[in-house]
Amino acid sequence: MIEVKNLVKQYGNHLAVDNLSFTVEKGQILGFLGPNGAGKSTTMNILTGYISATEGTVVVDGHDIFDEPEEAKKCIGYLPELPPLYPDLTVREYLNFVADLKQVKRSEKAQMIDKIMNMTKVTDVAGRLIKHLSKGYKQRVGLAQAIIGFPEVLILDEPTVGLDPMQITWIRDLIKDLKKNHTIILSSHILSEVSAVCDQIIIINKGRLIVSDSADNLSKHITGSNQLHLQVKGDKEAIQNILQTMEAVSSFEFDKETIDGFTSLTVYYRDNQDVREEIFYAFSDARCAIIEMHSTHMSLEDIFLEVTQDSKTKEDNKEVTVNAGDL
Amino acid sequence: MLAIYKKELRSYFTSMTGYVFIAFFLVIIGIYFAVYNLFGQLANFEYILSDASFIFVILIPILTMRLMAEEKKQKTDQLLLTSPVPISRIIVGKFLAVTTVYFIAMVIISLYPLITSQYGLVPFKIAYGSILGFFLLGAAYIAIGLFVSSMTESQVVAAVVSFLVILLTVFMDGIAGMLPTDNKSAFLILAVLLLVLCWITYLMMKNITLSLLLAIVSEIILTAAYFLKPGLFDGIIIKITGWFSVIARFSDVIMGVLDISTIIYYVSIVFLFLFLTVQVIKKSRWS
Repeated sequence: MIEVKNLVKQYGNHLAVDNLSFTVEKGQILGFLGPNGAGKSTTMNILTGYISATEGTVVVDGHDIFDEPEEAKKCIGYLPELPPLYPDLTVREYLNFVADLKQVKRSEKAQMIDKIMNMTKVTDVAGRLIKHLSKGYKQRVGLAQAIIGFPEVLILDEPTVGLDPMQITWIRDLIKDLKKNHTIILSSHILSEVSAVCDQIIIINKGRLIVSDSADNLSKHITGSNQLHLQVKGDKEAIQNILQTMEAVSSFEFDKETIDGFTSLTVYYRDNQDVREEIFYAFSDARCAIIEMHSTHMSLEDIFLEVTQDSKTKEDNKEVTVNAGDL
Repeated sequence: MLAIYKKELRSYFTSMTGYVFIAFFLVIIGIYFAVYNLFGQLANFEYILSDASFIFVILIPILTMRLMAEEKKQKTDQLLLTSPVPISRIIVGKFLAVTTVYFIAMVIISLYPLITSQYGLVPFKIAYGSILGFFLLGAAYIAIGLFVSSMTESQVVAAVVSFLVILLTVFMDGIAGMLPTDNKSAFLILAVLLLVLCWITYLMMKNITLSLLLAIVSEIILTAAYFLKPGLFDGIIIKITGWFSVIARFSDVIMGVLDISTIIYYVSIVFLFLFLTVQVIKKSRWS
């Protein structure tokens, strides 16, 4: 459905997007992940034809965005980082204008706008001027704007920014719902958000593709990170004695900050061995109460650190893309 | 295109801008009408338009400053440029919307000669000929204002720059009169002008070889022309400034000379600046 090949975008000497290639199949949700300034918005702006690329091609539904911009743009609904709203229009007027821009048939227009306003829950503010709306409503009007015309591809740049937690879960459900008829690309810098809705995840940093893998693989890897964090009532020596006798534990590390009488530490254990039960009994035998025990999830930052270090060493072999399994 | 036209036109009348423009326009023309035609008992409407043509300097920037600058600032250009509407149609839609606002004001003032005709003989041909000329002049200025607006994100900058540009065209005749007319200084001025143009192309394309080549070739051609046919340079500066003096053509119209070349002149100014506006927007997508 969407095919991006060797995309490069250069601003002066600065490479915003560096040789990026990926494809999205029909009916998939692609999550576009990266820290701020990674080139997510730039890439999306190129995909939608807002800015042009220095090199490379983008093909949407068989239409090259640079050669046949009108045809390609017809298949795309775009919600930019900042929703492109006209403050002096009412919500209905605005959506009407967008429908005209997207050449929606006159006979279907009113019905479509009503349907989309229901979907995005903006019906109750239909008559209000956009400048008087709250941030959350503005974001939803922006989303409604992207959906108008029911284009085959939806490109959403950080769709949940500025929404409260309830609206975020609701918008995720909406995106999952839209998946039935649309191919979706959405960007975020929050890992949990992307892994909650996406089939395919791409992580980029400094304009480069770092990881491209299915969401399942990536999240499996992220949750199974072989680390436990413990807080124990007892001193370091006693804990050291207990852990050293355990075979499944490969190493451990005490936290720098300690509270009187309590010790915090991270335990690393070997692959595919659940050591939690063992640790519990070992500590209870030694009369050291475990106050807290949880497996630490790898955060996006950790992945970045690991992956960027990885890609640095691999750069010599001109191999930038790594599978999540290699992390 | 129609969608943009409708939206722009609406926005002039949902905000104050459209009303302020029309009111201001009618007040100024009305004062002149009262003084010349009613109290002065003159039958010639064209005198009013001739003396009132300075209002473009103030009014056109008000109309055009927000056209593209505001879209850029609010990031709504992302909606327009990612919609399946070609840039040229977006620009033409906007131009037509502003011109419609201006047209409404022109329709009202074209009733004035009819009022005067109740009290005596009015030279209708010259009156309506100059109204048409006045309309075309305004349309040309609107295209220039739209072009200026597409180059900046700030409405204030757009307003000030288009104010200065229109002012310059008004004074162009006077400035041209002060420039030397002999062919040697004309040659020097043109040589400098060409260098400046080449420097601008360098700034836009960042290609030093091409710009240098362009500079050298054009200077050689210019020098060759100067030595082979020095007569070509007689008064050429005045001719060139005269070409850019949008308002000078209008003084011919006031005299009753509205020929086809004047109409083509104004229409081509409109097309030139609409074309340039489209190019500016296309260019900004590349950088």
